[in-house]
Amino acid sequence: MTGPTSPEAPWPVRTVARKIAEYIGRLGEIWVEGQVAQLSRRGGAATVFLTLRDAAADLSVPVTCARDVADRPGLELTEGARIIVRARPDYYIARGSFSLRATEIRAVGLGELLARIERIRRLLAAEGLFDAARKRPLPFAPAVVGVVTGRDSAAERDVVVTARRRWPAIRFEIHHCLVQGPSAAASVIEGLHRLDRDPTVEVIVVARGGGSVEDLLPFSDEGLVRAIAACRTPVVTAVGHETDTTLVDHVADVRAATPTDAAHRIVPEIGEQRRLVEGLRASARHLLVTRLEQQTRWLESVRSRPVLATPERLLHGREEDVTALRGRARRTLTHRVESAERDLEHARARVAALSPAATLQRGYAVVQRADGSLVRHPDAVADGERLSVRVAGGPLPVRVDHSGNQEEDGP
Amino acid sequence: MTESAEPTTTYEQAREELAEVVRKLEAGGLTLEESLALWERGEALAELCQHWLDRARERLSVAAPQNQPE
Repeated sequence: MTGPTSPEAPWPVRTVARKIAEYIGRLGEIWVEGQVAQLSRRGGAATVFLTLRDAAADLSVPVTCARDVADRPGLELTEGARIIVRARPDYYIARGSFSLRATEIRAVGLGELLARIERIRRLLAAEGLFDAARKRPLPFAPAVVGVVTGRDSAAERDVVVTARRRWPAIRFEIHHCLVQGPSAAASVIEGLHRLDRDPTVEVIVVARGGGSVEDLLPFSDEGLVRAIAACRTPVVTAVGHETDTTLVDHVADVRAATPTDAAHRIVPEIGEQRRLVEGLRASARHLLVTRLEQQTRWLESVRSRPVLATPERLLHGREEDVTALRGRARRTLTHRVESAERDLEHARARVAALSPAATLQRGYAVVQRADGSLVRHPDAVADGERLSVRVAGGPLPVRVDHSGNQEEDGP
Repeated sequence: MTESAEPTTTYEQAREELAEVVRKLEAGGLTLEESLALWERGEALAELCQHWLDRARERLSVAAPQNQPE
């Protein structure tokens, strides 16, 4: 070719363009795989333009093809579709633009898609991204929950409504993203990054409703899986229906079956927690009350023991002792008095027996002079003297008359 | 006869001593003066036990569930 260029000998643009076109033209025909990011069929234009995006890296190349290549029967060329293109790299010198000139387009079949996902899964698993040891525990009752989900989606409503019902104090930081199509993975990654940077967000939920395997494809995106693995905040995924498994489910800290299930996982049920706490409180209280009752009964029983309840009993025995002793003393004394009385009676009887009264009773009499002296002889008294004759019935005054006495005393 | 006589005595200490006092009183063989002194001690201990139990009950009722903020 021509020699090196210099300021004195520059190439004209056409030379450069031609040389680049020649260089690119030498690349020949290649097979390329990617995802349709944009598709434009302008009116009746003979050429269809589409943007082919890389499955993992954020880059794309423009692809052009003849209308009949794009419209081949059996090929459903839509945005988001995975395709394999047979193309020739082409430099359009009039504009200096590069594109792949496609001569054949094939859709990547479902089986092929799944096999591809499986290959990525093995790759990431080998890297340890899905290891159980990497799983972080979810906070018990997070104050703020980040949600990455489609705008106005049922998934969002399921998560928010269910979580609020379970735990009314919950707050959400919601990031709406695309959940379908070639830009969905990047959109979800952006949401994740934003929420992960927010220090108030304690857990992030990635939620999307059910869909076809193709619809859910962004959630098996290698870049998204790596983004979730890199999150500092625990991530819960709830993508598709229970039976759908996407790669994000493997890398998530918790995989929820559905958005509603995710709500169950991220917040405890407040009523249940209240009942639990109430139950524990009641048990604790019951234990204390029981213990207290036992002790109260014990104290009552001790206080009702006779030695404590009726301290008078302390005196009882002793009072009885005193009473008994007094009784004995009294009885002893009484006994003595009575026996003295009996002695007296006897003495009295004896005195009575010795008394002259009995003799008088028998008819004898005692004669006494006025001075009380006894008259023992008739001569001891003078005639006319007054004497007192004592008989049993009492004293009898008499006067002495010896004359009568002499006659009677005669022979 | 007040619990302040033994402010540092715990319920368990008071209870144990009370049981001992009752045991001695029931065993008998004491002088009147000793019995009375023991009985007075027993009364004081019983009051003290009662005091602790009343206090416990008060504290329980203060912490009653209806007093809990919702």
